[in-house]
Amino acid sequence: MQPLPRSRASRPLDLALWQLACAMAVLVVIECVLLADNTSVPYAYLLGFPLIGVVYLSAGLVAWRRRPGNRMGALMVWGGLVYLLVGLANVQVPGLIALGQLVASVPLALIVHLLLAFPSGRLRSRTARLVVIIGYLICTVLQLPGEMFTAQDPPFDVWFVADRPELAMLASRVQLIIGVVVMVATAAILVRRLRVATGPQRRVLIPLAVYGIVAVLMLPVGGSLLRSLGVAVLTTVLIQMAILAGVPIAFALSVLRGGFARTGELDDLAAWLSSGAPDRPRLAGAVGQALGDPTVTVGYPVDGVVVDAGGRPVVPQPGDRGQVDIDLEGRRIATIFYDAELITDAEHVAQAGRLIALQLDRERLTAELLAGREELHRSRLRVVEEADRERRRIAQDLHDGIQAQLVVLALVAGRLAADEGSDASALREHAGDLRRELDRTAADLRRLVHGLMPAILVERGLYAAARGFVDALPVPTELSLTGSDDGLPDVVETTAYFVLAEALTNAVKYARASTLSVALERTTDRLRIVVSDDGVGGAPAERGGLRGLDDRVRVLGGRLVVDSPPGAGTRVWAEISCAP
Amino acid sequence: MRAVIAEDHALIREGLIRILESERLSIVGVAGTPQALLDLVALETPDLVITDIRMPPTFNDEGLVAALQIRRTRPSTAVLVLSQFVHQQYALELLENDPAGVGYLLKQRVGDLATFRADVERICAGGTVIDPEVVSAMLARAERGKGLGRLTPRQREVLEHMAAGRSNGSIAQQLFITEKAVVQHVSGIYDTLGLPVSPDDHRRVLAVLRYLQG
Repeated sequence: MQPLPRSRASRPLDLALWQLACAMAVLVVIECVLLADNTSVPYAYLLGFPLIGVVYLSAGLVAWRRRPGNRMGALMVWGGLVYLLVGLANVQVPGLIALGQLVASVPLALIVHLLLAFPSGRLRSRTARLVVIIGYLICTVLQLPGEMFTAQDPPFDVWFVADRPELAMLASRVQLIIGVVVMVATAAILVRRLRVATGPQRRVLIPLAVYGIVAVLMLPVGGSLLRSLGVAVLTTVLIQMAILAGVPIAFALSVLRGGFARTGELDDLAAWLSSGAPDRPRLAGAVGQALGDPTVTVGYPVDGVVVDAGGRPVVPQPGDRGQVDIDLEGRRIATIFYDAELITDAEHVAQAGRLIALQLDRERLTAELLAGREELHRSRLRVVEEADRERRRIAQDLHDGIQAQLVVLALVAGRLAADEGSDASALREHAGDLRRELDRTAADLRRLVHGLMPAILVERGLYAAARGFVDALPVPTELSLTGSDDGLPDVVETTAYFVLAEALTNAVKYARASTLSVALERTTDRLRIVVSDDGVGGAPAERGGLRGLDDRVRVLGGRLVVDSPPGAGTRVWAEISCAP
Repeated sequence: MRAVIAEDHALIREGLIRILESERLSIVGVAGTPQALLDLVALETPDLVITDIRMPPTFNDEGLVAALQIRRTRPSTAVLVLSQFVHQQYALELLENDPAGVGYLLKQRVGDLATFRADVERICAGGTVIDPEVVSAMLARAERGKGLGRLTPRQREVLEHMAAGRSNGSIAQQLFITEKAVVQHVSGIYDTLGLPVSPDDHRRVLAVLRYLQG
């Protein structure tokens, strides 16, 4: 898909971000100048923290500009600020040193914050918020005792109170224990997220989580580990720095995954709409690109079912999906489905939807047409299948019943013809038995033919056939016939009869009703059939042959509705067009 | 007795002629359509008309319509309607005005020659014959709706024969009981069901069928 062009409207944000970048750059320069006063450590080392800060700032600003709706960019800019503050611990100005020492461990809490806020930049659960807050607290409050109770050379003794190494050690222990708890909780939250994540989400989440946790562990443990392996102090520090600097880059790349080129937000969507480009991608794709969520899909309500732009029913996607309904002039026109992990602000999606409401409505009409075509195709198929099933059933009935009976009768007649020994009266008796068997076979055939097409329907039409059917029912049935059935097309009569017969048969079989009622109402161009009972209700709409009849009714330009609330009887309502 | 037959199926027509023609009954004409039947009746003024229901050109209920028209215009003509299917609605329509000399049977019944010939004779004699299938369907329905269970099994049997149009004498013969016993059963049935007393056997059929349907 072509990237969306960047709109003019996004320029104010660009400007603000440039200003932020300049301000941060000034801070970096000031810090670097101040660090030059420190002569106890090589200058190259001192530049480590501001350097990581710059990496954070750059990655954050890029992500912020390209994904304005995502908070990860802002979070990384905050991370850059944290590293600049940490770096202050090495300058020679006491107030700044105090600040730097206070936040010295905050980069660890920052990584926890980044891990738990990914991918939207917001902390979505209370647990995650709690874990992050505890993380920041132990990295600041519990950091102080170490400075307060450990003797240091001036000017780094700004927090010093007394030389009590045991207190410093205690605070450090407590800090370590709570820190481990925070990391375990973080890992648990991440594992839970991974379990509900989709494949593509996992491919991003897993490496990021592993890298983040390793980075956190590298700070307190990595140093001693590497030194014990014989790695020089300088190299150890460089490796740690590199790993920490890699964190913002990894997060920025993950946020910008999926060809996240210069795409914009809503303004860009508007620009895209007004461009009228002939090769416009589908709306869902455009919305997805604008919102930075490649999984965005749009569903349209058609006949109570949600279908996609191609008219096919929408299948629920796995994972944490959010959805926003879009209304236009009081009508529901579309539903936008998005990745709730990625986009936390539903209003953002709703804004996008409102912006393109007219286009959505247009695509909905197309979807409606396509869905109609699709449904027509399916219903035609079902009509053919139903006819096929019916044929099979009839063939089976004839085969098992009348054909077998005729074979037996032929045998009896054959024996009768070959009989030479019996006298005339015995022969007469056998012939009489044969005739009675033939009568029984004929009665079976009559029942079968009656089921296929009742004679009275052919001879007298729908209303007489309805009367005949109702007369034969074992449950008291009220019959109301309005208008005349004269001139109804055969196919309408037959369909109406079978709807009525099927509905009444189901009512007798399943409804446990004490009375039934049938109403046939003919107007100039419509025939309405209402079959209701006072039974138990709760009938499935697909019960019996009603589904097949629904298709027949639809083919005739009609509708069939089964209303069967549990405990409140069943009402089958059908209307068929019978315009001449 | 002179009879005409309306039946579009040639083999069935020939078969009917063969089983019915005797010294007492002569077939004076055959028709293949309802219109031909009406013309034939006007021409021959037969004593008996035997007609199918479904006939060309429309294959609807024109045979029945023709039969009803003959009953209206020439009430003295006995009519026997034969059909592949029987409906109680048709039976009631046929009997409606005057049930004397009316029959309504499944075509299949012609196979039982003795019974069929006897039925034809009863119709010619002004009796009424209603197919057992119609009667049993109506009885089955009335049983559920009207509580025919109050009748004794014997009374129920007698009612069935009454609904089929049999006279007391004929019922007595069928059930191997005396006519006096039949009369007792009939009055028992009238009392139990609260049927209005009919002046003759034919009216009685109509009353019974209406009761069963109603």
